[in-house]
Amino acid sequence: MSDISSRENENSNIVKYWRKEPKSIEKFQFVYHFLPKEEKKRRADLLDNKAILIYCIIIFFVTAAFRFIPKVAPGVLGYASDINISDLLKYTNKKRQENGASNLTLNSKLSAAAEKKARDMFEDGYWAHVAPDGTEPWDFIIGENYEYIYAGENLAKNFSTSREVVEAWFKSPSHKSNLIGTNYDEVGFAVVNGVMDGYETTLVVQMFGRPRQPSMVAAVYEENTIPQQPQVSIEKVSAEVIPTQEEIVLEDFDVTEETEEMIQFSVPVNTEPFVDVTTATKSISLAFGGFVGSLLGIDVWYSRKKGIRKLTGQTLAHIMILFVVVASIWFVFRPGIVI
Amino acid sequence: MMENLKEHRVEYFILTIVLSVFIVLIYFFRFNKGMLILLTGIGSVFYILWGIIHHWIRGKLTRSVAYEYLLFGFLVFLLFFTVLSF
Repeated sequence: MSDISSRENENSNIVKYWRKEPKSIEKFQFVYHFLPKEEKKRRADLLDNKAILIYCIIIFFVTAAFRFIPKVAPGVLGYASDINISDLLKYTNKKRQENGASNLTLNSKLSAAAEKKARDMFEDGYWAHVAPDGTEPWDFIIGENYEYIYAGENLAKNFSTSREVVEAWFKSPSHKSNLIGTNYDEVGFAVVNGVMDGYETTLVVQMFGRPRQPSMVAAVYEENTIPQQPQVSIEKVSAEVIPTQEEIVLEDFDVTEETEEMIQFSVPVNTEPFVDVTTATKSISLAFGGFVGSLLGIDVWYSRKKGIRKLTGQTLAHIMILFVVVASIWFVFRPGIVI
Repeated sequence: MMENLKEHRVEYFILTIVLSVFIVLIYFFRFNKGMLILLTGIGSVFYILWGIIHHWIRGKLTRSVAYEYLLFGFLVFLLFFTVLSF
């Protein structure tokens, strides 16, 4: 009995003390960790050196996990994309027009060569113009019986949209010379989804060529293999575009079989991985940058309000550098790679 | 904050100029991942040195302040590197 009464007295004394000294319970309040400390002349607990070190460690381990997961679970992480041949051709020709070059026509042999190159990269796990066994881009083109005077190849991976792919090629001097090169009349594209290095991604192969013997029939025929227009029948096009004297050539050609084949390999399936690594890493970086930036903003506001002078580094400078990095990540960064 | 800016206007002028150049370069090389990583590394090292030299000139450099700039420089590098490395 005496034990209970002594505890009650003790609790009552604690409550009296808290009422008398409200600051003593501040450290038990959640908000206490977000505000600068007047008595210590320091920033909030969540902004001290130990906390920043913990943020760095968390970001490091998340990055490491994103590297490790594809090794144990290939295809879980990847790059979401919405790329199609129709847009690639449209943006390529737009860039060519802007730079005084003539439009390229889509060629099935070049597209088939591009398709084989893309599949070869997925199968053999390489990302280069020359395969590990020494196969060059020209070998794929010649393999499709495309006899050329000039030929070229552009590659891209991990991009989200067709416009981004063409913009990236245009920004790179070596790819730009292919993209707007006046030595080419025809182009072939392949947009192929697969798993490379454990990440689900989309490879884009663009092959250029100037045929030794230009074929009007082939050029017109290819225009109708653009994936977004698969419903257009070859017969309709032949009636509208192909000159009468060449209809015989078109009939001899096994149009239906090849058109189906073209549509089958040309129509891209949008990549939607379980986790889009671009969005995930961007979100993590922006979340941490935003969180630390917000805490620094609260620090400036609360210190000014309470007249707290701290013995720390320049808060405004920290805010400036964080703002620049977050803005760069948000507005500038594009995830794709071109070679 | 304005008093702070006036007091350290030379240092903040230098920081603003460098950060502006940094943004322009990041935009210019936005399709070159290797260059972006290099620029981010250089930017982080510059910031660490800016902070340390700034406090050293004013005789306010302590070990804690030096660690603070080191950690902030490392944090901004990691934030960018995490996005760039994929």
